[in-house]
Amino acid sequence: MELQEYRFRFDELEVSIDIIEKFMGYEPGQAPEPMPQLINEVLGIAHELCDIRGGYIIKQETNINREFKTMHINGTEFDVKKIITNQLRKMDNVALFVCTAGPGISNYSKDLMHEGDFIKGYIADVVGSEIVESAMDKIQADLERQMESRGWHITDRYSPGYCGWSVGEQHKLFSFFPKDFCGITLTPSSLMQPIKSVSGVIGIGPEVRRKGYVCNMCDMVNCIYREKKDTKKADRC
Amino acid sequence: MEELFEKIAHCVEFGKINLASPYPPDMKGQVGADELTKQAIDAGAEPDDVLKKGLVVGMEKIGIKFRDNKVFVPQVLMSAKAMSTAMEHLKPFFESGAVKRKGVFVIGTVAGDLHDIGKNLVSMMVKGSGFEVVDLGTDVNSQKFIEAVKQHPGCFVGLSALLTTTMVNMEKIVTDIKTAIPGTKVLIGGAPVSEDFKEKIHADFYSRDPQGAVDFLKRSVA
Repeated sequence: MELQEYRFRFDELEVSIDIIEKFMGYEPGQAPEPMPQLINEVLGIAHELCDIRGGYIIKQETNINREFKTMHINGTEFDVKKIITNQLRKMDNVALFVCTAGPGISNYSKDLMHEGDFIKGYIADVVGSEIVESAMDKIQADLERQMESRGWHITDRYSPGYCGWSVGEQHKLFSFFPKDFCGITLTPSSLMQPIKSVSGVIGIGPEVRRKGYVCNMCDMVNCIYREKKDTKKADRC
Repeated sequence: MEELFEKIAHCVEFGKINLASPYPPDMKGQVGADELTKQAIDAGAEPDDVLKKGLVVGMEKIGIKFRDNKVFVPQVLMSAKAMSTAMEHLKPFFESGAVKRKGVFVIGTVAGDLHDIGKNLVSMMVKGSGFEVVDLGTDVNSQKFIEAVKQHPGCFVGLSALLTTTMVNMEKIVTDIKTAIPGTKVLIGGAPVSEDFKEKIHADFYSRDPQGAVDFLKRSVA
């Protein structure tokens, strides 16, 4: 299947003050001053800072080896470990995805931190994370709609760096995309630039299902994302 | 003077930076940690007392609240801002040696990991407890840590990670540091890390929150 590309404007995404407050640990509407004002300031300029892009490519030649806990896509082996092989074992196809908020929001956050404005810098960092997650939610929802139309389903998303899948395998994943796809590059230690980027895989097939809240599969008991009731963010688990 | 120290601690705890700062709202129009620290120094307070009885006490209180989930990251950052602003008045005394740092703490997020919020929090809390902090940033490899330890003999080292898979790098860095400079105390923290993992990789201390790291460092230099 051909490469699917998406581009979003900030106002197309569901990044609200309530979501940012929740991410920071507060009940919506309960963050003390000056947080709401600062969040609004960051959200107010976020559209100028973002270059929100993403996409996926579907591959049909897939295989899961549960004995060796590996995933094979077009002959490339990924050492994804137990949790992910379990979740993807019933897939027939796989979508490899990437998505980014662009470099602007990360640079803005870093500049603020550098200037000593830690709080606004932190808020900008959180907003950047929510932008890329929200954009990826939209891409995933679109993929799901397309698959549902032919009676197939999709799984949650799984990313290198989580659930035991090594970040070092990021290069293999990116080899399925054109060079610098969506403006994302990899550092020598396999980290994505811009920082606010995500990548990973989604299983596809008639027998697979999204489970939504997957934190109970993960052994990161102190994970900052674990306490959130938010769902469908498996790549953070 | 004790009352002034208490006020400084209160301002740091609640993130009241200075008179111009409108936050927290119930302290609007009042002086903050900045002015009170200057006032204490001008009145002849020992800089070391300003640090230990004022600023450190305030940071400790917010650290405990954070550990107990009574406040969240932004409030700790506000306290850290109040503290760092006040610390400017103590800078000349640190430079002259009139106030001694408790020690040096080298910190970084391990190679393969760009997450830095947790690392920054620990960094600020440790700084607020009277240590000099050398922040190496993110995606830091063994070599950089070892160079920093050589530059600061006897320092403590803090390793942070958020990704499960960078725990492997954490293990390598601990081994490399302890091989290159035996006896170096290494603290680890981050979402995927645990007490069991600390034992496995022969690190010296694990804490699930910044205050735990501060308490360990203070015990170690007591």
